[in-house]
Amino acid sequence: MIEGLVQLFLWQGLGELASKFLLPSIPGPVLGLIFLVVFLIIKGEVNQPLGQVADHFRQHLGLLFVPASVGVVLFLPELKTHALAVSTALLVSVVLTIGVTAVVLKVFWYVSLKYGKGQRHE
Amino acid sequence: MNERLPISEIWVYLSGDPLFALIITLATYQLGYLLYVRSKRNPIVNPVAISVVLTCIIISVLEMPYEKYFEGAQFVHFLLGTATVALAVPIYNGFKRMKGKIFHMWVALTAGSTVSIVSAVAIAQWMGASNNMVGSMYAKSVTAPIAMGIAERINVSPTLTAVFTVITGMLGAILAPYILNALKVQQWWIRGTAIGVGAHGLGITRAFSVNEEAGIFASMAMGLNGVISAIGLPIVLTYLRPHIGI
Repeated sequence: MIEGLVQLFLWQGLGELASKFLLPSIPGPVLGLIFLVVFLIIKGEVNQPLGQVADHFRQHLGLLFVPASVGVVLFLPELKTHALAVSTALLVSVVLTIGVTAVVLKVFWYVSLKYGKGQRHE
Repeated sequence: MNERLPISEIWVYLSGDPLFALIITLATYQLGYLLYVRSKRNPIVNPVAISVVLTCIIISVLEMPYEKYFEGAQFVHFLLGTATVALAVPIYNGFKRMKGKIFHMWVALTAGSTVSIVSAVAIAQWMGASNNMVGSMYAKSVTAPIAMGIAERINVSPTLTAVFTVITGMLGAILAPYILNALKVQQWWIRGTAIGVGAHGLGITRAFSVNEEAGIFASMAMGLNGVISAIGLPIVLTYLRPHIGI
């Protein structure tokens, strides 16, 4: 557990440093994530403590954004005024996002399968 | 009310302590999670939404200012960055499974998240939402920890972004099976990818409970989408903002 956390903190720290000095437009943790993915690809495996901690985080990711979300109390009057606009935007956008991603992936996959086969026949 | 009861002394002491904010945050989440498990993981019973609503009620009743609450709860908040780094593991595990599909996923993710941002921002703006609200639509289709990091970078409210993200996750997890069935998408990996982009963490939990392959692709899609957006969004917005005025 601790061993996995230490690894994550180190990568996060590295990401924060890179964000501060090299790529200020990208959040430090995202850079840490990218570094860790590259490291894992080079190494070829996820060590057990890291996998365990990552799994815990994934399961309860939601808990971590409760404190920030509670800040919604500060926006309640504004949210009430724009409730219809906000809920319509969120609803339509979710449906389109899932639909478009699935259709693009499906069509693109079949097109490239066909194209791939066609090449083999030539 | 001048008589000082021991209980009120204890209360004064407790409510001034960071521990109190931590207790409400964790206890309400725990309660929400129990209800969620009891409901057989029905996406409507979202533990985060339950925890947020209960915590809001508790601090409003106690007239505790949000800043005061956050002073304590920041210890939980801090771990968001670490959790973001931890997303590297599902992305890596996904990479191993998706040989030959990476480029396809990349294209679909970019298309999906572009549509997500454009549609949300356009609709909110068209329906007359305030700049605060519209701005917070940009990052809402990204998993919350990354979304909040992006929100800080592009100067919109991380709080509203987080709230919109949670609502998006709930809607996506509820609606995804219907949308995907209507579009006759049968492959688990494609279904998973779409859910990961559209419904974040909650969608992933749902995907894992139906099919392992869908879950792995969903985790991977969520992580990749976050990375693409974190890199792309600030750049795109720098060029776009002067033209749309938000």
